[in-house]
Amino acid sequence: MLAYRQGDAGAFEALYARHRAPLFRFVLRSVKERALAEELYQEIWMRVIEARGRYSVQAKFTTWLYTIAHHRLADHWRKRGLRLVELEDADAPAHRSFEPEPRAEGRQDLQRLAAALAALPELQRAAFLLHEEGGMTLAEIAAATGASEEAAKSRLRYALARLREALDDGRS
Amino acid sequence: MAEADRDEKVSAGYRALGGEEPPRALDEAILAAARRRPAHWRVPLSVAAVLVLAVGVTLRMLPRQPDAESVALAPQVMQTPRPDAAAPAPPREQPRAEARARAAADVASAPAAEPAVGAAGAVAPSAMRAQVASKLANTELTPEAWLARIAELRKQGRAREAEESLAEFRKRHPDYKIPEPLR
Repeated sequence: MLAYRQGDAGAFEALYARHRAPLFRFVLRSVKERALAEELYQEIWMRVIEARGRYSVQAKFTTWLYTIAHHRLADHWRKRGLRLVELEDADAPAHRSFEPEPRAEGRQDLQRLAAALAALPELQRAAFLLHEEGGMTLAEIAAATGASEEAAKSRLRYALARLREALDDGRS
Repeated sequence: MAEADRDEKVSAGYRALGGEEPPRALDEAILAAARRRPAHWRVPLSVAAVLVLAVGVTLRMLPRQPDAESVALAPQVMQTPRPDAAAPAPPREQPRAEARARAAADVASAPAAEPAVGAAGAVAPSAMRAQVASKLANTELTPEAWLARIAELRKQGRAREAEESLAEFRKRHPDYKIPEPLR
């Protein structure tokens, strides 16, 4: 990123190639709608390009990128009138769901997993996606979402528990 | 990440959901935007280049033994209209800063990319030279360069200015043996 900041466009291409797919899935799984996800994804990268001068060497690029992405998604949720809900609100009704075709038992597992992921409160889902797609540690998740490490840990554990339940439902 | 914060089964299930990627058209649009951006900061870079050039020109014009360049510069200095041409001013630092700022402004207001490079190479140095040279007082010159300037004034038929400058020279360098043709 520093090389790009200093005018090396090739450095940006290398960063982009590494982060494009994970970031896209992070956004897609956060908002569900593909067209909207593409729009937000593009806006996030434009912000990265615009903000390159503010990138500091202290920040790991991944953390910086997902911080920008998280802020953009938070703006989106706010505009849609959605609250960023915490653990107490975890039973809020699911307002989105993935619906893979249920062709086999394994497929049904995935369908439940996708539905459970979609039903997670935003911040819990964000913690899980940052962990899975961004490969981020708790400290990095905390930094990207402006939370304490404890809060990030709680969110991630909650998300994992819910997703695990969804997968195990088919066995019980 | 502690063991309690990982769940391999969930991770495997999540990965099985699919490996969606952004469409190529979107990739292209973003990469094109990224390539465009660095071009926008070529203007500040060219301004920096002009500043380096300006400092270089200024340093080259500081008092030293007259050489081909300072002699060649003298006529240009005389052609630059200035109210204090006849009376050598004391050395001043501010005009140089103004000249640098003006040269930078010239470049900044020029169209981006190549024209800016052209401006840095052509317009700015001549503007700089006129600005800096016109403000460079005779007193900053070596006695030899000052006398060369007086000789040039005479050659141009500007006798009164030449005499005033010579009188000033005598005040500044009372012990200097002025060559016969100039006396």
